[in-house]
Amino acid sequence: MKRFSVFLATLALSISAGADYRPDVEAWNISAAPPQQAVVVRGATIWTAADDGVLEDADLVVQGGRIVAVGQGLDAPRGALEIDGAGMHVTPGIIDAHSHAAIVGGVNESTLISTAHVRIEDVIDSESINIYRQLAGGVTAVNLLHGSANAIGGQMAVIKMRWGSSPRELIFDAAPPGIKFALGENPKQSNWNNDTPRYPQTRPGVAQIIDERFQQAADYRRKMDEMPTGRQARDVVRPRPDLEMEAIASILDDVLKIHSHAYRADEMVMLINIAEAFGITIGTFQHVLEGYKLARRMAEHGAGGSGFIDWWNFKHEASDAIPYNPALMAMAGVLTGLHSDNPELARRMNLEAAKAVRYGGVDPHEAVKMITANPARQLGVGDRTGRLEAGLDADFVIWNGHPLSVYSRVEQTWVDGRRYFDREADLAAREALEEERLALMAEVLASEGDDDEESGEDSAEDGGWLLGYRASELAHDEFCHAQEFGHIHGGHARGIDFRSGNR
Amino acid sequence: MRNFTFILGLLLASCGLAAQVTALTGATVHPLSGEAIENGVVLIENGRISAVGSGLEIPAGAEVVDVSGKHVYPGFVHPLSALGLTEISSVAGTVDTTEMGQINAAVRVEVAFNHDSALLPVNVAGGILTTHSVPGGGLIRGSSAVMAMEGWSWEDMVIKAPAGMHISFPAGAASDSGNDDLKKIDEVLEAARHWHRAMRAHEAGNAPRPARNDQLQALGPLLSGDVPLFLYAAREKEIIAALDWAKGQELEQLILVAGPDVQYVAERLAEENIPVILNGIYTMPTRRWEPYDMAYAAAGKLFDAGVKFAISDGGGGFGATNARNLPFQAGSSAAFGLPKDAALKSVTLWAAEILGVGDELGSLEPGKRATLMVTDGDPLEVMTSINRVWIDGEEYDLGRSKHRQLYERYKGRIQAQLEAGE
Repeated sequence: MKRFSVFLATLALSISAGADYRPDVEAWNISAAPPQQAVVVRGATIWTAADDGVLEDADLVVQGGRIVAVGQGLDAPRGALEIDGAGMHVTPGIIDAHSHAAIVGGVNESTLISTAHVRIEDVIDSESINIYRQLAGGVTAVNLLHGSANAIGGQMAVIKMRWGSSPRELIFDAAPPGIKFALGENPKQSNWNNDTPRYPQTRPGVAQIIDERFQQAADYRRKMDEMPTGRQARDVVRPRPDLEMEAIASILDDVLKIHSHAYRADEMVMLINIAEAFGITIGTFQHVLEGYKLARRMAEHGAGGSGFIDWWNFKHEASDAIPYNPALMAMAGVLTGLHSDNPELARRMNLEAAKAVRYGGVDPHEAVKMITANPARQLGVGDRTGRLEAGLDADFVIWNGHPLSVYSRVEQTWVDGRRYFDREADLAAREALEEERLALMAEVLASEGDDDEESGEDSAEDGGWLLGYRASELAHDEFCHAQEFGHIHGGHARGIDFRSGNR
Repeated sequence: MRNFTFILGLLLASCGLAAQVTALTGATVHPLSGEAIENGVVLIENGRISAVGSGLEIPAGAEVVDVSGKHVYPGFVHPLSALGLTEISSVAGTVDTTEMGQINAAVRVEVAFNHDSALLPVNVAGGILTTHSVPGGGLIRGSSAVMAMEGWSWEDMVIKAPAGMHISFPAGAASDSGNDDLKKIDEVLEAARHWHRAMRAHEAGNAPRPARNDQLQALGPLLSGDVPLFLYAAREKEIIAALDWAKGQELEQLILVAGPDVQYVAERLAEENIPVILNGIYTMPTRRWEPYDMAYAAAGKLFDAGVKFAISDGGGGFGATNARNLPFQAGSSAAFGLPKDAALKSVTLWAAEILGVGDELGSLEPGKRATLMVTDGDPLEVMTSINRVWIDGEEYDLGRSKHRQLYERYKGRIQAQLEAGE
């Protein structure tokens, strides 16, 4: 651990302190966090995602950003905000273990096969509208990951959806560090438009390079450890610090947890073998399409499975992806979660969980755990969030109906006991924003005499038919899948998007 | 209901030795054309529904399928998809959605509809029992086909082809009256009109035969009003420009295919009686500054304005794999303002009607194709299971879904491992 602290200190880049942070003035942005409140939700159906299961006609009491109690007929702290939960359902906040929704400057550092030394925490976009929109879907924490261009990718950042806070303040302090790996078609560049191929071009090559980097990092660590200290250190020249090797060595120290993009069973067995040879345990397999084929092996090793539920056949290696995968992995004892990997899908993760009920008959409460308690545990924050239990962070969602019903909506989303999304307030803000927009438009028209009232309409750059977005809000892992949830991108030449006019 | 019984009587009387009759009994039947029928009966004969009602007499010798406690619904009609034309979107050899070039009027998709695509059984298992599969390449993209999801060859599966001509309105033409792409479309349509005039003159013996031209010839059914134009436009400005343009073209049948911005043009669409395929609500709001649920609320806005519409899913090669999620787009629309019964019709009856197959599909009514499903609940709910499916009167083996096969196989393996203590 000491080594890791030194490593962090070495790496730490200067990030502007929270105090200096001023968000851009844009629609939906807020300039300060909502107040932390004492709250009691009364008479709701509470899905604890814990041993207590689903509690009917129950109360949830929150104070100081933490859950104080869950149960029936509870006393409220003095001055607590009372919320009538009759007919409402309350779940823990949704945890999305695979997101690219708030990353500035590109999701993929695709130049090298190993980029262990780059970090998402340096490039968090705290003003991404995705944060607000996902709060509106009940998401309270996400894992921001690099793309899948590299066998050994960059270091991830787990954030809480503290809309209006600085990048630094978003970071979830309880989250242990982790690193993205990727196997299969993407790191071997199967679908890249690329004139300068890079080693490796095969799955065996991917295996080889990971194994080799691990060996090198072990050697590097040994050499560093063998350096004399104190007086004797004066007489030797220390090896030059190597940030990539430092990072990989901390994987081998079991400090940086591996979260590896993987589709096929063979490649997952391969990575488990390498990990076991080096005495470490993989955190999760991400996407984990064929997890059901090696589910017992995953469970024995201790790797979690964090997957899409029903994406399939968008690449050859996704041919055998089945929506029953979460049900089967859970049955085999794998810690199973569902993720979005997509800023639009992230807004309705409750329906992804509902699919686990549809496909394989997962119990609805267990399905809710797949988007709350389980991903929280996979990210190492299970003792802080993901369940409704006394002592945990007050991260919760109030739904107007059964949380897995297609007809239900999020009414409120709370993070750390702060109400970051409130549908009622949102509806009110729409009118104010529209008034403001019209006033600004009128001012512009008056000053410039510009007759094109929507002159911004034709300037969408990368967003396909979407307008006014920042690049970071539409960013995704371009090697991972054809993104058709809102825009087209050039790399997906054979995809078609029927929504679009010809551009 | 009495009518149905009456028709049944007529059918039985006229058939004499009737063909095999299948009777689904005991379920709540949701015809969509009328109120739900508790403990209803659906009779199927010669691939078609012969009667729907409660307390119907079941003909002797009928195969009785007891589906007590379940629900019977018409199958979903996918109003715009690439099903049958694509397999793996990242593998070029498996994709036939997108022809090169800008003018592809002569392309007909049904000839490339792969009846054994692995995507078909997977999506049938999700209740997608009819697909309108469409071409996606260029400005004038070709003609589409309404296809059954089951058959031994595409020829058996055609319900309607050509179902319509597909033209993508150039986005740039919304703010540039001299847009080259739109000019190109105009020129081709004008040339086609001349070509067909010349052809008619030739057929009347008044002129030499015009030079053969597949592209111009293929536009005949559109220009004569025999098939509709499916006109694609994404955003408000483009939709308005596209509607204005289409008016100038004086086409008899127009169907607008548009994104969630179509809600801003709802009043005009209702006034001009133009049906809409709302192409996906699981999208980001068009503009960053718009409300988070702008797309989710789009269908409700169309409904409120009185627009006839069907909900689609954005389609595309990737979308085709998960066409089975279409009903959830309708369900989510109901969470944001669309009445539930309208949501269901937007992916069944209204889709069929807009596609011109409303007399064949989309509801459970005598004479229509017996293309239906048995579920354990509301089919727009994600948690609902689809238990059994009939396509054109034949029960479909849901075990043909590759996903079910892999599930059964590996469930057995995991169970065995757990029992062996592995």
